[in-house]
Amino acid sequence: MPDWKRIVRERLAALKLDGSQESEVFDELAQHLEDRYEELLEAGVSPADAERLAIEPLNTSPSLVEALSRARHPREPEPPARPNHLSNLLYDMRIALRGMQRKPAFSFMVVGMLALGIAGNAAIFSTFNSLFLKPLPFRDSARFIDLDETAPQWNLHYTGIAENDLFAWREQNTTFDGMAFFDNPDFNLSRMGPPRHVQGAKVTRDMLDVLGLKLVLGRNFTPDEDKPKGEKVVLLGYSLWQTLFSGDRGVLGRTLVLDNEPYKIVGVLPREAVFPDRAELWVPLAPKSDSDNGWYLSGIGRLKPGVTPLQAQADLTRVHKAMIGAGRSVNKITSPILTPLRERYLGDFRTTSQVLLVAVAVVLLIACVNIAALMLVRASSRAHEVAVRTAIGASRGRIVRQLLTETGMLALVGGIAGVMLGRLALRAIVSLLPDTMPRWIDFQLDFRFAAFCMVVTAASALLFGLFPALQASRAEVSGTLHVSARRATFSRAQKGTLNVLVVSEIGLAMALLVASGLLAFQKVTHVDPGFRVDNVLAFEADLDEHKYSKAEQCVAFYQNLLDQLRAVPGVVAAGGATTPPLHGHWGQFFRAEGDPPRSPNEKSPVVLQVLVTPGYFDAIGMTVVAGRQFDDHDGTLKDHPVAMVSEAFARQHWPRASAVGKHISYDYDNKGKWWEVVGVLRDEKHYGLDGEVRPAVYLPERQWPYPRTLMVVAHTASNPEALIGPARKILASIDPDLPLYNVHTMSERLDRSLWARRAYSWLFGVFSLVALVLAAAGIYGVISYAVSQRTHEIGIRMAVGATPREVLANVLRRGMVLVGAGTAIGLAVALAAAGLLQKLLFGVSPRDPLVYGAVVLAVVGVGLLANAIPARRAASLDPVKALRTE
Amino acid sequence: MSIRLPDRELKKGSAELLVLSLVEDRARHGYEISKLIESRSEGMLKFNVASLYPLVYRLESRGWIQGKWVEKAGQRRRRYYRITAQGRKVLAAQRQGWKQFAEAVRRIAGVDYA
Repeated sequence: MPDWKRIVRERLAALKLDGSQESEVFDELAQHLEDRYEELLEAGVSPADAERLAIEPLNTSPSLVEALSRARHPREPEPPARPNHLSNLLYDMRIALRGMQRKPAFSFMVVGMLALGIAGNAAIFSTFNSLFLKPLPFRDSARFIDLDETAPQWNLHYTGIAENDLFAWREQNTTFDGMAFFDNPDFNLSRMGPPRHVQGAKVTRDMLDVLGLKLVLGRNFTPDEDKPKGEKVVLLGYSLWQTLFSGDRGVLGRTLVLDNEPYKIVGVLPREAVFPDRAELWVPLAPKSDSDNGWYLSGIGRLKPGVTPLQAQADLTRVHKAMIGAGRSVNKITSPILTPLRERYLGDFRTTSQVLLVAVAVVLLIACVNIAALMLVRASSRAHEVAVRTAIGASRGRIVRQLLTETGMLALVGGIAGVMLGRLALRAIVSLLPDTMPRWIDFQLDFRFAAFCMVVTAASALLFGLFPALQASRAEVSGTLHVSARRATFSRAQKGTLNVLVVSEIGLAMALLVASGLLAFQKVTHVDPGFRVDNVLAFEADLDEHKYSKAEQCVAFYQNLLDQLRAVPGVVAAGGATTPPLHGHWGQFFRAEGDPPRSPNEKSPVVLQVLVTPGYFDAIGMTVVAGRQFDDHDGTLKDHPVAMVSEAFARQHWPRASAVGKHISYDYDNKGKWWEVVGVLRDEKHYGLDGEVRPAVYLPERQWPYPRTLMVVAHTASNPEALIGPARKILASIDPDLPLYNVHTMSERLDRSLWARRAYSWLFGVFSLVALVLAAAGIYGVISYAVSQRTHEIGIRMAVGATPREVLANVLRRGMVLVGAGTAIGLAVALAAAGLLQKLLFGVSPRDPLVYGAVVLAVVGVGLLANAIPARRAASLDPVKALRTE
Repeated sequence: MSIRLPDRELKKGSAELLVLSLVEDRARHGYEISKLIESRSEGMLKFNVASLYPLVYRLESRGWIQGKWVEKAGQRRRRYYRITAQGRKVLAAQRQGWKQFAEAVRRIAGVDYA
């Protein structure tokens, strides 16, 4: 007798069930073949023929392996006998998991779409949350308010606070619990190992109380120490205490040498002292009530409970303007300006984050709509199953619960994948943040974030789960059980729903694409900065006022440093300036020859003032458009004061004449010292490529009467970073107490200044691409499904003479009506929402017709492609086969 | 267009009903089920090893029938299938569906059985 088991095993080798199950199947099939063989023998068939006849069905059924493995999946567990919510849920979850395994492509699509949507949401939301929602790490942080002065007449939104005003504000206000003022100077810290540069803060002694901080060790500044000529004392920051003194509690009374002056350590700040930002130590501000230092202080106030910022603003304005009568007439121009702390430091990022949040929410919405369409289509193919369940007594609620569990599980898996992806994305975003971001912002995932993700996940589950579930449970039992109606068709209402879903999906994707198109079309990177970006290194060496107390000492120091730098091989040019491009602003008020007379306290708008050494313009690559640049013959102030001005300055003051040969003077200088303009420079984008251009005046640093610190700029022939080592050596050889710091190439600086614009253009691009892909998948899915539903109808059309071409056109037309409707809606939404983007755009109109045109073309093109595949399938139908499917 | 009976779809749709009916009263093994379908339909319906077992396993995986290995004295081990409580409900529903279908066909076509 043939070895039946071997025969079966050979033919079903590809079955791959688990061991015992497989051998049971082989046993059973072998037994069947044997029975058949014996029966044939009994009927008189020869053994050879009997064997051939018995085996024949195995050979002629190529899909047997597939059919068997599909049918042989583990049996679904029986539902629990007694109703029990928890075990019902567990049962539903087991069924749902099995369902997901059985439809891997479907599950993967749903989970993938959700994960994409949620990842974007999670990342952007937690950025937004950390920036704007999480409480700041201060006690009663909502009551903190930033103090400053504003002077619209000087074209300055924030001027800084004058020391003279500080005293009146602090003593005469009635709306604050406390006020503190500070400045953020740097110090050279020496005599403690190699010299290093530390960021410090000069603060009034109220700062500890205002912030509600308790010292780890020691005491606060005394009132006397916080007065001019008070004793030099310092509060050590927590991390400096750890790094310099390893947390030694005997540190009080020891000395810290800052800018070559000894400061006595009187206390240690707690770890929570994260304001003023980046300060590693505090020294007393010691303000003067009759100072002429101008406006340079920052302030922070804590409002009394129940006081609004507006009331406080009115209160301080009253105090400020009252000083006019006491002889401080400049207060006619300046006014206090109060801003909630978070707004002041992060206001720039609010619009960006909000717009991105909207974009991400739209992508999530599209993903949900898509999933809803998928579920709806799937629900129709499951109508039979639902009908059987209903027939065997499942209640409608039970079925809805089962379907909801399935979608809930999909949402859960999608949510988890999305949160994990989102954390990666958050890490990427944080690494892109600029270094001006306050350090006290803490980008951690917190409970609000987790809650937000849960809500998003649950909402999408409901959105795409409940609706199709209700539709499916409404399926007619007898109808769907009907043999000839095994493939349930959609009702008119269901088709309508699907169409609405597809149209809205296209519309949303279209609106997003317009936004990202506008962002991508910005002309920022095409802007000519007006200075050299490549192969330029900039660094600082901060001269301390103590050792370099005379202007000549500073001049000599920088001349020496620059000469040695120029001698380094590969250095093409080197120079110094107080504020090179992208390094901030130092403002002054100037008057120009020929200006109309002004009233005593009226000042012209603020002008950027830069002190420069010879060689600076060559190093930074700025262009002289008229006259000459400074050279070594210009001498000192006593000789012949000279200046250069920017095109903007020249245009403002001498619109019709050449600036060269004209004279300028400081606004406050009544003695009539005038600088002769010897050259005009092309405007530079000093505040960034997307920043404004302010008029600028450039003066030779050797004609400046006071000591000053410069930034050194060097133009190299190749990689500028190779200069860092030699520069450090040169500096150490000139003055071993001076650290080299703030070292950056100009291209790094430029990148950093554009990070936000670049980051959100990029993010937007990614989001809208995802949206387009999702929408295309949606169109494709729905049209394919519609074609499969219309197979019979198409067959009849072709049988009565329709050509494939006509069928193709017919299917395409139906699909493109949806695409057209979606495009029109998307256009309307985009036009309406364009105003929101206005603030973020640079050099492009929010209604740019080119962008809109391109996006319409792209969406219609993608829609056409998504329609073409099912349409071609319909056109190539064999009418005979098509009719037989019924 | 000619219609051949039993049409493939028709057979597929009815197969579940046939198997469920055959194991309704007593447990049967696979070969027995295939013989019974052939003999009771007088040769009109035939199931071979390749068409029967995927169907039987599918019914078993849905929990409508349950298989069990049985060893009887003097015989080899065979797998017997019996209907489950759930299977009975499905069978009742399918019978009802068929009755309605047959009735509908009878009303239109004037034949006694489809």
